[in-house]
Amino acid sequence: MTSRYIFSDQRTQAAMLIAPAIVIYAVFAIYPMIDVVTLSFQRWNGLDATKEFVGFSNYVDIFTKDPVFWGAFRNTVIWTILSTIFPPLVGLLLALGVNQPIFGRNGLRAIFYLPVIIAPIAVATMWRWMYDPFFGLFGQVLTSMGLQSWIQDWLGNRNIALYSAFVAYLWQTVGFSMVLFLAGLQGVSKTLIEAARIDGAGRWKVFRHVTFPALKPTITIVLVLAIISSLKAFDIIYGLTGGGPAQSTQMLALWAFTQSMQIFDFGRGSAISVVLLLITLSVVIPYLRWTRKSEENEE
Amino acid sequence: MTMMSASIHANTLEKPQRDWVLVALWATLALVALIWVAPFVFIVFTSLKSNAAVMSSSAFAPPVDPKFANYSGAWDRGRFNTTFFNSVIITAIKVPLGLFISAMAAYALAKIEFAGRKMLLLAILFGTMIPFQVMLAPLFTLVNGLHLIDTYPGVILPYLAFGIPYQVFILQSFFRGIPKELSEAARIDGASHFVIFRRIFLPVSLPVLAALLILDFVSTWNEFAMALVLLQDRDMWTLPLGLSAFQGQFSRDYGQLNAAIVMTVLPAAIVYLIFQRYFVSGLTSGAVKG
Repeated sequence: MTSRYIFSDQRTQAAMLIAPAIVIYAVFAIYPMIDVVTLSFQRWNGLDATKEFVGFSNYVDIFTKDPVFWGAFRNTVIWTILSTIFPPLVGLLLALGVNQPIFGRNGLRAIFYLPVIIAPIAVATMWRWMYDPFFGLFGQVLTSMGLQSWIQDWLGNRNIALYSAFVAYLWQTVGFSMVLFLAGLQGVSKTLIEAARIDGAGRWKVFRHVTFPALKPTITIVLVLAIISSLKAFDIIYGLTGGGPAQSTQMLALWAFTQSMQIFDFGRGSAISVVLLLITLSVVIPYLRWTRKSEENEE
Repeated sequence: MTMMSASIHANTLEKPQRDWVLVALWATLALVALIWVAPFVFIVFTSLKSNAAVMSSSAFAPPVDPKFANYSGAWDRGRFNTTFFNSVIITAIKVPLGLFISAMAAYALAKIEFAGRKMLLLAILFGTMIPFQVMLAPLFTLVNGLHLIDTYPGVILPYLAFGIPYQVFILQSFFRGIPKELSEAARIDGASHFVIFRRIFLPVSLPVLAALLILDFVSTWNEFAMALVLLQDRDMWTLPLGLSAFQGQFSRDYGQLNAAIVMTVLPAAIVYLIFQRYFVSGLTSGAVKG
């Protein structure tokens, strides 16, 4: 009797401790995620009391009739590929650099990380001004180097706007990868490196055969986080170009927002969101499986 | 940190007088760092120039006759009184409250055995990776249905919901590492889990809580997308919304625009520079070891 009493008591206590977090999480995070799927099968303008069930027609519309969707899709893919390559790569190089015993490395680290803590919308505002073709930073630097002919309307030229925006994103996110790599580097066995050095291995060989293999779990994490956060790119595009010029920097996240909140087609907007959600899940679920496996291996 | 200083010692002992590879490396890193700070210098310089000076002087020329009036001008026109106040209220409520709720849940998940615990943990880990940018429209519908659009709770509740998973996840893995003996003794003495949580676990986890507090401060302070959807009345706007609107209206007033950027960015930058150490530990405790 007593043991059963204590058991139920424990459960009540656990429930009371967990409830606030779970209730808020379920209502304001899980429910909208389910709702977005429901909405994607309905026609709704956000105002009417009734929502009409329309089956897959929103999906058919975005895949076949929406003139912007595939462009946004393509841009999202390009953006994701770029963000999976460059921020982690530059971050790794910087981490390897500031991990060496060099003068002022704490200061250097602080500088590389600083943009990470700045609001993405502020980064967008900053870079929009820096990209100003007349008085912006890039124009002036090129002019002072005698390269006036290189000056572009960085954000106004549809062929390069996406890449201009990505440079701003790179500047902001490199520090994040760097910090994760720095933490990973602390886990690389010093004795192993020493041993390799004594055996006559040069810097490259030590990196190739000792540091790099030890960094593999960190690399996986950095890449997964890079992919996920690139799919979320919203603020910086919204602030830099708003998707323009001529939708050349439009992304799925922003286009879903535009369809729902500005064109008031919640059905189509939600269908786009679901597509993006599925893409995200295709990265998240294998990753979660991988973490569970490596945890079980540890146990 | 201690491991790093250990590595310095190991390396310097074994190093000869001057290592040219390291010198070259240092020069490269310094150059990159220079490029990295250049935007900040440019923004601050511009924020102190008049429009005429912006057009006539070089980007990196320090302002000859600093025009501090840009700051007061931008403060008034950008309605910083309102947006600053709203940002402070929302952050001051959301950050401590969210951390407390997360810590409670994390304690239960780490230290109390009950059915469905593993499932809950998985659901929470899942939540750390789901982008809320995908759900802006249904969030709007939900908050609108609760008649909470343009209210503090209407934005604080979703902020809490999307902050909880990461914090619970980090804290539960930290609590799990706390030795059983610490709480067993108290339990035998008849203390409830509430007491153990408050008296034992909260105090020992202060460093982790501090790290999460600072990270969460920055991300709440900077949040834009949800605020954009949930706060439509400009009297409820936060700093990021105010800055975005300022850019839309006064983008040709270079000095004031840059002053507005500096004022928006400064609080987070100061917090970062003061609490740097915690940022790194807060980020890495979750991502790398978790």
